[in-house]
Amino acid sequence: MALLAWKRTVRGPTDQASTFEALALPLLPALYNTSSWLTRNPNDAEDLVQEALLKALRGFSSFEPGSNFKAWIFRILRNSYLNSRAGIAAQRTVSLDERLEADSAYPEEVIEMTTPETNFMRLSDRAAVQTAMEGLSPTLLEVILLCDVEEMKYKEIALVLDVPIGTVMSRIARARAALRLQLAGNAALNRETRA
Amino acid sequence: MSHHLSAAMLDSLIDGELPETQSAEVSEHLSQCPSCTSAALRHSLLKASSATAGHRYAIPPDVEQRLRREARPNSSAEPRRNVKERSHWGGLTAIAVLALLACTAVILMQRHIRNSQAASAEQAIFTEVCDLHIATLAANQPPQVLSSDRHTVKPWFQGKLPFSFNLPDDLPSNARLDGANLTYINDRPVAQLLYSIGGHHVSVFLNEGPPYVLANLAHAERQGFHVMEFRAAHLEGVAVSDVGPAALAELVRAVEDAQTPRG
Repeated sequence: MALLAWKRTVRGPTDQASTFEALALPLLPALYNTSSWLTRNPNDAEDLVQEALLKALRGFSSFEPGSNFKAWIFRILRNSYLNSRAGIAAQRTVSLDERLEADSAYPEEVIEMTTPETNFMRLSDRAAVQTAMEGLSPTLLEVILLCDVEEMKYKEIALVLDVPIGTVMSRIARARAALRLQLAGNAALNRETRA
Repeated sequence: MSHHLSAAMLDSLIDGELPETQSAEVSEHLSQCPSCTSAALRHSLLKASSATAGHRYAIPPDVEQRLRREARPNSSAEPRRNVKERSHWGGLTAIAVLALLACTAVILMQRHIRNSQAASAEQAIFTEVCDLHIATLAANQPPQVLSSDRHTVKPWFQGKLPFSFNLPDDLPSNARLDGANLTYINDRPVAQLLYSIGGHHVSVFLNEGPPYVLANLAHAERQGFHVMEFRAAHLEGVAVSDVGPAALAELVRAVEDAQTPRG
């Protein structure tokens, strides 16, 4: 049977294997880190990276040499996550507010109620920032991971997420606003606990 | 620039995404505006903090070893050359015959490699389609759009897929539309239409195909699932189910016919 539209064009076999290894293996730590953030479970993270690697390997003949391999394999990883049980569950639990919020709208700057010193101390607390990141929805967490942690450009993120650059920008703005809110909320909670 | 920098502009600034034309203007504004400078610093601190905090999960060495092995294609798949020593015959005729045989062998080997690679890519898609269908059954969760009304299911895909499709008005007897999911096959967004025929569940995956037309109905079987492929207008479809091939073909034909506008 044909499955023509999804069938990959075949490329030369000999150099394919070594090229794939050279491109994919250095990205293993990054893929694992992102998978762990998304799945929040070491076994699921390993399964997700494994699935993405196998899919990438099988479809490598369609990868255009010279184009962005990192964006390509992260896109495969992300799509595999969306199709996984964890991904499907996460999509169904996204808050209604977030769905209703238009992607094109930028959030207002979160009002800073703290001094620059306390703000600096809060941001220096790695555990506090990680807790705040855990509180983000998958949609917002993934842009923080791609932009800040993986240092991808907006254009690359747009490729991974398959959305326009404008949407990437608005999601980044919303993600950072949500992070600031989470950090401010956690700090207030800590103050109350100490009091 | 007299007004303060927006959140989006501050993000673009710290992400190094400001166009050169704007960059100079923003720098000039920052040199005169303590409020925006402070905001830019806050944004920058947050980015640095999330970058540090985000590097949280180190890959365990044994997991890395396993994944490295996965990323290494099977070495037995490498084409092997079968070189045979032959005695020296001498004479131009013998050399010509050998050269001809060698050329034929190379051509046959290349064709074999191409065919086996194409078959392997096809097999991968085949597996993925079946896996997605099984995962949908195993998930025990409602579809992303839960409706038997085609006027609800079709509009749900607006803005989610880079193509559109029609759903049939009339379904074969016993067949019912249960809903649909947006899913991904081979890194492409695909509509997964969920039908049931009696007690059997059917997934019909619709994907935007290449512009050429090939409307042969192909059929295959795997682990008790029947898989049928069809092509209509700009779409390619694949249906998967454990229902009998005749009932599946009837449903496939209804979906296929719906893609062709009636004159």
